[in-house]
Amino acid sequence: MSRRRLTAAGFLLALLKYGALSAGAIAMMLPFIWMVLSSLMAPQEIMARPLVWFPARPQFENYARLAEVVPLGRMYLNSLIVTIAITAGVLFTSSLAGYGFAKFRFPGRDTLFISVLATMMIPFFVVLIPVFYLVSRLGWVDSYLGLIVPNLVTAFGIFFMRQYILSLPDELLDAARIDGASEFGIYWRIVLPLCGPALGALAILAFVYHWNSFLWPLIVVRSPELWTIPLGLNSLRIYASSPEVINLQMAGATLAIIPVLIVFVLLQRWFVQGISLTGLKG
Amino acid sequence: MKQTEAERTGMALKAGAERALRAERAPGLRWWLRRRSVVGYAFVAPALAFLLVFAFLPFVFTIYVSLHEWNMLTPVTSMPFRGLENYRYLLLDDPLFRQTFANTVTFAVGNVALSTLLGLMVALALNSRVRFRTFWRAIYFLPYVTSSVAIAIVWANIYNANYGLLNGILEMLGLPPQRFLASVSQAMPSVIAVAVWHSVGYFMILFLAGLQNIPGELYDAAKVDGAGDWQRFRFITLPLLKPTMLFVVVVNTLISLQVFDLVFILTNGGPVNATNTLVLYMYRTAFEFTRMGRATAMAILLFLITFVITLVQLHLLRERR
Repeated sequence: MSRRRLTAAGFLLALLKYGALSAGAIAMMLPFIWMVLSSLMAPQEIMARPLVWFPARPQFENYARLAEVVPLGRMYLNSLIVTIAITAGVLFTSSLAGYGFAKFRFPGRDTLFISVLATMMIPFFVVLIPVFYLVSRLGWVDSYLGLIVPNLVTAFGIFFMRQYILSLPDELLDAARIDGASEFGIYWRIVLPLCGPALGALAILAFVYHWNSFLWPLIVVRSPELWTIPLGLNSLRIYASSPEVINLQMAGATLAIIPVLIVFVLLQRWFVQGISLTGLKG
Repeated sequence: MKQTEAERTGMALKAGAERALRAERAPGLRWWLRRRSVVGYAFVAPALAFLLVFAFLPFVFTIYVSLHEWNMLTPVTSMPFRGLENYRYLLLDDPLFRQTFANTVTFAVGNVALSTLLGLMVALALNSRVRFRTFWRAIYFLPYVTSSVAIAIVWANIYNANYGLLNGILEMLGLPPQRFLASVSQAMPSVIAVAVWHSVGYFMILFLAGLQNIPGELYDAAKVDGAGDWQRFRFITLPLLKPTMLFVVVVNTLISLQVFDLVFILTNGGPVNATNTLVLYMYRTAFEFTRMGRATAMAILLFLITFVITLVQLHLLRERR
């Protein structure tokens, strides 16, 4: 209940705080601003010295040219299909197994759960080569299956959902059981709706992660018809170093980033909540 | 013969009891499915089978391949056994492995130190009395949700020695232009700067969550006891933030040791391997040179490092409790 004293030192401190925050904020935003501005510039303008900040005439045709170089619509569609399928899969498998571990007793349960936690310690790069071999033997290289299936279950998701479901009251589930609900029905109609916040957090984490994912698609995709957005952007890099394509690269990056920005601004609270939830387990 | 009421009731009871007994001896499918343990197995089985096939068995297979020579084309059953040769080669005979290892450690140390420190500073500033908190938080967090490939392409152009924005700004300020990603000495610091820019908001959010978990009464009590700003920070904030700090440093280190996207796009490991990292080198060894034995041995060596770090974290966490 401190009264605010407007001392000289306090004023200086506030000045310093807002000054530093603003300087940092400019550093965080400038690359995005430059990305959008230079995506609308002619090559000469990008290279001009002294710097030109604004295009004399916004070159919206850069975006049309970009669409001729890479299959833009296809890339968006592929990214959407793959990311939505993986996110839905992760939500389903994580909540299903998380419920099993949280609310049932069966011999070996704790050992099995510890094995799940142990696989959390295996980073993806360690199993990259065998998983790729497996996928190629299944004939899934260069297919949606290859992009999606290896990502459908995560140990972290199971752990995360189990922790959340542990806090749900048993009485509710037993009441439904007495009323004759089927076991899957209890999961589907009672447990899942109560998991809203946890599912939301997990969905956002999975969506952002797989929307931006690069290494696995890079290995498993061969043909441009299956490019996700990061793969399409990577193909622009190969033309690189010639100033004529910088504006195309910037247009591509803009198109990749803007939708995520919009979703982020709309759902900021959920993003922050999701990240905070995962951090607090430590 | 006429049955009495009592006899009839007795027979019905007997038949009912026999039915119940039969049910006890040979339970129907429905009864069996109702057993909670069976239901429990059914709920966890799909995910477990999946983890077995896509995580556990591949892990065992990685160890197996690392002891062999394999190009992924010959059958699994006929790969020649090489013992620890792949490990010996990497650790003793391969200067590039040593260099990528050193680069990875440099990247991790630089990125962890800077993004942790800056993340903490921004979090402290935003946790104090500040206007437009949500606005600042959004701005610092924003790069984290964007694609590393997209931002790496943007930064590669910003860093470009001939036409990049950064040299344009340096010129505006009357400073000499730099070569950034094209220079052996500046490439790694430039890559670290992008990584810090990309991830600082994530750690800021984790620190903010940690700070908000510290009960405000502690500060009020300290104030009553006459503790100044610095003392409250030193004796309340810092000690209570230790678990968050530990989590942030460990997660940050594990992520940093696996850096791939940024270096692949920004420099492709160059110039002359100045920014080549372990996962990038492993990727090339496996998918460009198809030397799966060596690539999996690299994976196992890097895994051992991450494993030790995780164990240390678990140990430190347990010590606290």
